[in-house]
Order: sequence, then C-alpha cells, then structure tokens
Amino acid sequence: MSQAAVQLPLPGFEQALGQWRSDYERQMAGEKAVRNRSGIEIQPLYTPRDRAGERYLDDLGFPGQYPYTRGIYPSMHRGRTWTQRQLIGLGTPQDYNTRVRRIIDAGATAISLLPCCSGFRGIDCDEVDPVLLGTCGTVVNTTDHMDAALDGVPLGTISTAMNDPSPFTLLAFTLGVARRRGIDWRSVTGTSNQSDYISHFIANHQFYRLSLPGSRRVLLDHIEFCRRAVPNWNPLSVVGQHMQQAGATPAETMGFTLSTAIQYAQDCIERGMDVDDVLRRFTFFFDISISFFEEIAKFRAGRRIWARIARERFGAKDPACWRFKFHGQTSGVDLTQQQPLNNIARVSVQAMAGILSGLQSMHTDAYDEAIACPSEETARIAVATQNILRDEAQLCAVIDPLGGSYYVERLTDEMEAEIEAVIARIDAAGGMYKAAEAGLVQTMIGDSALAFQEQLETGARKVVGVNCYQVEEEDATIPPAERPDTQAMAQHVERFKAFKRERSQEPVARALNALARAAGSARENVFEKVVEAAEAGVTHGEMVSCLRRELGFGHPLIVA
Amino acid sequence: MTWSPSPLAERLRAGDRRAIARAITLMEEGGANAAALHTAILPATGRALTVGFTGPPGAGKSTLVDAFVAELRKTGRTVGVVAVDPSSPLSGGAVLGDRIRMGRHTCDAGVFIRSIASRGHLGGLTESIHHVVDVLDAAGCDAVVIETVGAGQSEVEIVDVADVRIVVNAPGLGDDVQAIKAGILEIASILVVNKADLPLAPRTVRQLKAMLSLRREGGADVPVLETIASEGRGVAELLAAVDARSTVPPEDALARRRARIRRLVAEGAAAEMRRRILSCKDAAFLETLAQAERSEIGIDVAVRAILEGSAAVAEDAGGSVVVLEARDRQAR
Amino acid sequence: MTGTGVRPFRVLVTKIGLDGHDRGSRIVAAYLRDAGMEVIYTPPWQTIDGVVKLATEEDVDVIGISSLATDHLIVPKMMDALREAGLGHVAVVVGGIVPEAERPALAAAGVGRVFGPGAARDEIVDCVAALGRKSRAARVDDYSEANP
Repeated sequence: MSQAAVQLPLPGFEQALGQWRSDYERQMAGEKAVRNRSGIEIQPLYTPRDRAGERYLDDLGFPGQYPYTRGIYPSMHRGRTWTQRQLIGLGTPQDYNTRVRRIIDAGATAISLLPCCSGFRGIDCDEVDPVLLGTCGTVVNTTDHMDAALDGVPLGTISTAMNDPSPFTLLAFTLGVARRRGIDWRSVTGTSNQSDYISHFIANHQFYRLSLPGSRRVLLDHIEFCRRAVPNWNPLSVVGQHMQQAGATPAETMGFTLSTAIQYAQDCIERGMDVDDVLRRFTFFFDISISFFEEIAKFRAGRRIWARIARERFGAKDPACWRFKFHGQTSGVDLTQQQPLNNIARVSVQAMAGILSGLQSMHTDAYDEAIACPSEETARIAVATQNILRDEAQLCAVIDPLGGSYYVERLTDEMEAEIEAVIARIDAAGGMYKAAEAGLVQTMIGDSALAFQEQLETGARKVVGVNCYQVEEEDATIPPAERPDTQAMAQHVERFKAFKRERSQEPVARALNALARAAGSARENVFEKVVEAAEAGVTHGEMVSCLRRELGFGHPLIVA
Repeated sequence: MTWSPSPLAERLRAGDRRAIARAITLMEEGGANAAALHTAILPATGRALTVGFTGPPGAGKSTLVDAFVAELRKTGRTVGVVAVDPSSPLSGGAVLGDRIRMGRHTCDAGVFIRSIASRGHLGGLTESIHHVVDVLDAAGCDAVVIETVGAGQSEVEIVDVADVRIVVNAPGLGDDVQAIKAGILEIASILVVNKADLPLAPRTVRQLKAMLSLRREGGADVPVLETIASEGRGVAELLAAVDARSTVPPEDALARRRARIRRLVAEGAAAEMRRRILSCKDAAFLETLAQAERSEIGIDVAVRAILEGSAAVAEDAGGSVVVLEARDRQAR
Repeated sequence: MTGTGVRPFRVLVTKIGLDGHDRGSRIVAAYLRDAGMEVIYTPPWQTIDGVVKLATEEDVDVIGISSLATDHLIVPKMMDALREAGLGHVAVVVGGIVPEAERPALAAAGVGRVFGPGAARDEIVDCVAALGRKSRAARVDDYSEANP
C-alpha cells in the first residue's frame, strides 16, 4: 500500500485547521451550502486531510499507466497536443469545401463534417422546404456531393469525423470517394461520431432514423464491416454530449455514457466479436461545461472507471482497450444569446477545463453558436482560443497539472462515487438499452433539467446577461445570422434532381433490393450493402427509407 | 335563447374535423348543451366497433395502440382514438403524451386522435368519455379505440363500455397481482402479453391463463395473446381476435347500439346513485347505515335495502335526497 | 389561472422544421402543466400539415413553437395554414433563438409573442394564459353556439 501524500498527524496541523475553521465560520456565519452541478457539496477549503489514505499507484498512477487517472499516454499534450477538430457544416458541398480547405491550409490535421438537419431527419434535399436547407449543416446526399465537399482534401492522410447516425451514409459516400481516387480504405482514418443510437433515443435528437432494434442491428454490422474493411476507422463513438445538453448532470452524463459503452461492448461480444478487438476502437465524445473543476474531475474519474471496466469487467488484455480516449466539445448550452461576445470568455474557460482534463481532441464553439451557424470570423476566434491556451498560456507544459490538488483529487473521488452509483442503477435496470426503452434515463435527465432551470429562475444559479448584469441589447454586437446563398442552394437541389433523373436506374434498383434483403436476413451485413448502394448512385434518403421500411421507423422513447 | 345542437350535430355527422373536435370539447365540459348534443347525435351511433385498452404503465400500451390503429387502417377502416391520461392532482394540469407514440398517424386523414385529461373527476369522467366515443361514432368512425393507463377502478369503468376490452400486460411488471386487485380480469375480453420476446413472457402467459380459470364466468373464452408491439408482431392476430369478439356482427348496428345504450344507462344510473347515496342525509337512510356500522346488518343487506325498493334513494322536487318507502328497515 | 369557467387551457407544444433539440420545450410543458393547463406535447420534426391536423383535433387554444435554429423561418407558412383551416383564432407563440432582424416577419404573420432564452417561468405562463383567454373569446364558429 502506497504512502499517503502527507503524513498525518502533523504536529500543530489540527490546531491550525481548527483555528482557520473558526475564523472562517465567524466571517461566513449562516452561509448556505455550495453545490456543483452534480449535486456534490463543495467545501471552502481542502487540505492534506482530504487526501489521507490515498493510494497513489492504485488510484492515480502515472500517465500512461493503469488506471490512467492522470492521463492515458506517458507524454500527453507535451508530446502531442490535442487534435483541433473543428466542426464545419453549412450550405452546399462547395461551401463546405471552401471552408475546410482554408482550415487545412491553416494547419488542421483533422476535419469534421456536420450534415444538414434534413440529413439527420433521413431525407434528401428535394424533400425539404428550401428555406431550411443548409442552415445548420452541409447538404450531402450522394457520393458526388461528398466528392465535391472533399475536393482537394487528402483523404488518405487527414482524419475525418463524419457526424451522422445509422446507417452511416456519409462514411459510405466517403469510401466511394476514396475508391474513385485510388485510396486504399486502410488509409481512411476518422470516426463515426454519431453512432451511439442509444443516446439519440434518450436525448431525442435522431430517433427519427431507424427503430431501436433496427439501430442496434445496423451499428453492429457497421462495427464488423469497419473492423474488416476500414480497420483504422473508429466506427463507434460513445456520446455523452446529447445527454448533458439535455440536462443530465456531469456525473449522470459520465455514468450513462459508460453504461452505454458497457451495453455496446456486451452486444459486440454476444455477436461473437473478440473483446480486445472491439474495445480497442471505443472512443468517447463529451460536452465540456463551464463548471471548470467539476469537468476536470469528471474526466479524471471517467478514465479511472473505464480502465477498471475494460480490464476487470470485460477482461480485456490489451492496454489499448483500457485507455479512455475522448473528444471534447465546449458546451453550447452554456452560451447565451444575450451579449454574445461574453461567450468568448466562456469558451476559453470550457476549453481550459478540457485541456487540463487531458482530452485527445477538441472543438471550441464560436461565440455566435447560440444564434446561428458560425461565420468565418467567429470560427477563427474559436480556433485562436485553443492556440492561445496552448502557445501563450503554456497549458501543455505539464501533464495533469491539477493532479495532487487537495480539491481536485477529492472531487475526482466524489465524482467517481456518483458516477458508479449511476452505473449501478442502470445495471439494476438491465443495462442501458432496457433502461432507455423503459424511459428511466429520460426521466432522470428531465428531472435534472427541471432542477437546473429552477435554479436559474430563482437566481440561485447566475448567468451573466441573462439573470444578472443584463443590459439593453445593442444590435451592433449581435452578428447577422449567416445563411447559405439561396440561389446556390436552389441550383444544388436542381442538379440533385437532375442526377436522380439521369442516373442509371437499374443498378440503383438492384442495390436497394440487395439492401432490403440484407436487412431481412440476420446473416448479411447491412452496412456493406449501404456502401455498395452508395457506389451505385443511391441517395441518402432512398437508403434511409428502405431501411425504415425493413427495420422499422424510429419511435420516440420520450417520457412526457 | 336556447342553443340548438343541430348545426353542430349536422357538421360532425358530415365528418367535419373542426366540428368533431368542438363537439368533443363540449362533451368534456358536460352540462345542458352537451346533453342536448348527445341526444341529437344518438340516432347516428351504434355503428362503430369500440375497443378499450388498459393495463399498467410500462406495458407498452401506447405502442400497441399505435400498431393496432395501423392494422385497422390496413383493412380500410377509419379510426377514432381517445387517449386518457391523469391530470395532476396538485395543479389540475396535465401533459398529454400518448399521441407521441402515434406519430405515424399524424397526417392520416382516416385517423382522429384526441387526448383527454381526467381533470380530477372520479366516476364522472366515464360518462363524458362515453359521450366522446359517441361523437366519434356519429362522425362515421368505423372503429373507436379508447386507451387509459393504469389498472385502477376508474380505468376499469372507462374501458368497460367498449365492445371489446383488452388488458395489456408485460413480463416482469408484477402486474399479475394488480390485475386481480382492480377487477380487471373480470371485464377483459382479451389479454395481451406485450414485449413477448422477453425471457419471462411464457411465465406471464401461464400465470394469466391460470388466473382466468378462477374467473367467475367466461374465463375460458378469453384468449391470452402475445405481441411485440415495437415490431408490429402479433398485432394482426390481435385485430382478428377483436373482430371475432365484437359483441354483435358489424352489420347489426341496431343491436350493437342497444347493447351500448343499456351499458350507458347502467353507467349513468350507477354514477347518479353514487352521487345521491354519498350526499344522502335522510334520517331513515342514515339509520340503515348506522345499523351497518354497528354490524347489525351486513353491507350487502344495506345495499339491497336501498336498491330493491324496501328503501329507495331519490331526489325530491326541492333537490334534497330522501328515502322513499322505508318499509322494512329491520331487514335481515 | 386555468381559463374561463372550469375548462383548463389546452396548449400544443411542438417543433416544426428540422431541429431536434427539445430541452426547452419540455421544461415549458412542465411549467404550463404546473399552472393547471393541459399540454399536448409532441416530438420534434412535425410537419405543418401535421400541426394543423393536431391543433384541429385537440381543439387547442394556444400553440407554442420551440425554435432554436432556423425553424422559425417557416412559422409564417404555418400561420397561413392555420388560418386556411379555420384556426385563425388559435394564438401562437414562439420560444427559442430568433435573431432580432427576423422577428418583425413573425409579428406580421400573426405570432403573438416571441420568447428569448432568458424568459422567466411566470412571464411565459402569464402570456400563454392571456393569449388563451383571447383565443377563446375570438372563436368564430358557424354553429351559433350561445356559450362558446
């Protein structure tokens, strides 16, 4: 058993502590308890007493050593800085291409594509009221569209994250483009960022694709296909973001997300996949709120718990499986429409928390995120924020710099306890799939969201510009909402319609039949057929409708 | 100026959606105009097949109703759905979310869905809901589906007036005990075990079949069907069972209406009797109660004393409740 | 607080267009319920035709649209559709993110009120109740009802 950081009893310690406490209480008589978002009470001071009994090697370890509390790699950001992976999505594929080329020229090594909401809805651009197209994402419905979006982008060397749920048509289009360019699929790297269907059903964003059981089927096919044919792609990203944005507390979010990962691991193992093979490619995606220390503790606890789950619960042997890899996005929910420039300060704090948490890649929001899709200018500031924190504030010089802080270590332990309690609750409910079906998770999140809102209403929780320090809004500080060029979009839709008319219909029909057949047969791989269909010229909407017919339309699992 | 129900009755019978909705609102409110409208549309009722769904929360009722409606639509029938949810006892408000699970019917002109909050009624709700069902019937719906949550007494009453009464269970909910308590098994025409793919399903089916054999009458005729509502499995079979069990053949609208009228009168009489008995302050009646209190007579004797004419509870012209013909108060 | 006479206000809370974030609309639904109203709550991604049918069948007094992205841009189309269906008396409020420059178009289309993200519970509830009263008073039925 390792030694405690400080040898207690220390002569004079208790007396001095007692003195401080009575001085403090005299000044702060009648003070109310302070709690963080997860409900944990925060003391005014933490001392060596809070770390007594700590076992350095067992509970913390060194970076790159189990249980990885201090970091999953030995050198962390000092060796290799986090990946800047800014989300881009607006307008037509050409609009996306223009923006993405610029950031690649500026040194980005990873890109992310956010499709238009119509895509999330599972329909093509010709089925949508034109005024809504491309306002929050890029319209990509075919392989040709993806080709245009990634024109001049070195697919074989740059990592691409595709933000779309089942049946992952964006990856299918990307693979089609790779084939056209003679790029081996083994060189295609990136992540299926929205593959966590359970979180979609819970946080009610994208249930409108396939039914719950249908989504389960397609995800497993997707994982299997990628292991075989696109081995350097991460087919699964377990997402905590949606739930935290919907109102789950940080501890709940980590608990739910790890429970979801457990569920997916079990599903894969049941399918006959090798546990090490599967866990090695698990990545996570989280929101980073402005509750600075809480987020850091949340991620440190998450690393520790995941390592134990992978090694002890699942018996994985490869250390790569024990490492909790995550992408963090600064939380848009903390940003305000009022006095939007304040959001730059907020994003800086969130980003700092992310960096000090040891994340692997990060997206920082632009300050106008709460209002519309970011402009070039606001997107530039978001990236500059990361650069300033890295290069000017030298936040990468020390690995886990908050490690050893009496507060942060204590808070990490307390967050761990809360998170474990959530995992236990989900286990008792039969796992995350069943808990989502039964509406248990949705209810917990709804309660937390309501409680948070209540705090805002009463002023117990302050938000600058919203319930305190309000000012009369001056229009000058609010940037005009950026909308895609309606004419360019209209032309894009026209060209799409022409494409559908003029393409060879027979291969399309054959591919759709094959897709439908695969969905009906437990032995075939649905995603493999999606990839083939994409190459045959089938559109996103056509593939989704076909699968909806075969595997069931997504029904909401909302609890009203 | 007395209000004439005719314009509204005419429009709703013609299938005007807005008129149907306004008529339902009126029926929810109750009162003299609602009664007048009900009388006006009564001749047009009796055609619809009415199906009630009830059962404990978590059984997947709404999902099953959604699939059931889809099945009805396949046969070309138009459907009205009345989804009943409890109001908050604290605020009197409600979030009516049953429609959420019926999203695919949102744009189907052959389906009319209305969400109803219980509004804290006890017993009185049943009557207004049956009037709502009559509105949909008179508007031309081939089938009207009533959905309520829970397995309590009021839910049993609501569903009891339907031609076919379906009680939905799911494995592992512990509902077998509940079902007995609420008397739900007594009124069920069909029992459904939903989520039939769960491991405990066969056991639940066995338990329900065993309990049916304890039923006073007709237990043997009650099938226990299995469904997986989220996948639409077993629902066609459920509809076939429902069609087979509707009280009278579809063509015999008159006979069906007669059956429903009888049930409605019984319902209304029971509700009215309850109201009167609970507010009765007549000395003779109170004496009968006191006898029951002192255990000199049993409750069943007290009930008979009131119902069978040895003492009858009625309202006199002045609105106070009296006991008539209190002949044999010493009935034993 | 619930309405004229005994009948609680019936409010449809929904989202049209393409955005799926519904945390705010769920909270507003809870507020209205706690204030004694009956809320018909739907998932996001309703079509305009769907909303018209829903509002008709449920005989609602007020419709609350939650719009965080650009879905408010099709609200004027929805207002037209409501009027065409004889539901011109139904009040409509929009809550969420609506750029200042785009608010006049909503007002011109007949939207009763636009709430930003900082709107307080009482403000929302009072407004919906007031609009509900107006909506009931404005009912135009061709049924010659003596008491609407």
